[in-house]
Amino acid sequence: MQKNLPHICPSCSSVLRVKCLVCENCQTEVTGMYSMPVLASLTGQEQDFIIEFVKSSGSLKIMAQKLGLSYPTVRNLLDDVIQKLENNTNNAKKS
Amino acid sequence: MKKWFFNPFIYVAGSRSLIIGWCVILLTVVVSFFSRTHFNGALDTHNSHDAAPIWIHFSEALIDWGCLAGIFYFCGLVFSKSAIRFIDVAGTMAMARWPMLPVAIIGFGIRVPATLITLNDILKSLTPQVIFCSILDIVFTVWMVALCYNAFSVSCNLKGGKAAWVFTGGIIVAEIVSKIIFHEIIKNLL
Repeated sequence: MQKNLPHICPSCSSVLRVKCLVCENCQTEVTGMYSMPVLASLTGQEQDFIIEFVKSSGSLKIMAQKLGLSYPTVRNLLDDVIQKLENNTNNAKKS
Repeated sequence: MKKWFFNPFIYVAGSRSLIIGWCVILLTVVVSFFSRTHFNGALDTHNSHDAAPIWIHFSEALIDWGCLAGIFYFCGLVFSKSAIRFIDVAGTMAMARWPMLPVAIIGFGIRVPATLITLNDILKSLTPQVIFCSILDIVFTVWMVALCYNAFSVSCNLKGGKAAWVFTGGIIVAEIVSKIIFHEIIKNLL
């Protein structure tokens, strides 16, 4: 089962922060208060889209060919991700 | 499969859809010339008794497509936040008009009498075959409108209520503008 990294508090809807990191090898724990990277607030599908976009050197035409979609469809997907990132950044700044 | 019927623009847009769309439009022009079907308005379909020159049929197709592409591109520039391209709007709008090909074929089943002056003439012309063909015309026209909406939504990146309102306004304006062009330009040339 693939788990999704939560970034919004289920109780009060504030942006979550990272408090503890663990090394799986030696069980060392690092505690503190870290902000989550903005990209972590995206879904796995959206993160894959961004990775493919970077691998395609930021070319929407190559992305469209790879995904078998039309140019405006890929541009719309990218615009939706940009909009989501902007909203998440604004929410993070507010909280 | 449903997406290919109602929203093929997810997969095809730009110059590819423009070429496909215009191939179908030109085929529609030829068929409509023989079936005496006219598309003198972005949403209109009419059948006539008298044959018109083929350039009239071609002009109708060009004006219908031009009005839809031009007006929806303008709407996209005003209402969309995305960097839209004219080739996408023009291409998807050309492809969205493909249900007009079956409408032109259905036109062979509609025979319009030479005189339609009195109410009796009109009632006589309404045979079961004409009524059936007219219903089919409406179905294909509704399908074309649905395709136009999806073409607009994909090419201009507008969704939901905003897209519906802008599209409704745009298609009404396209219908009015195309009608004005037909009456002012085409009629003066004849």
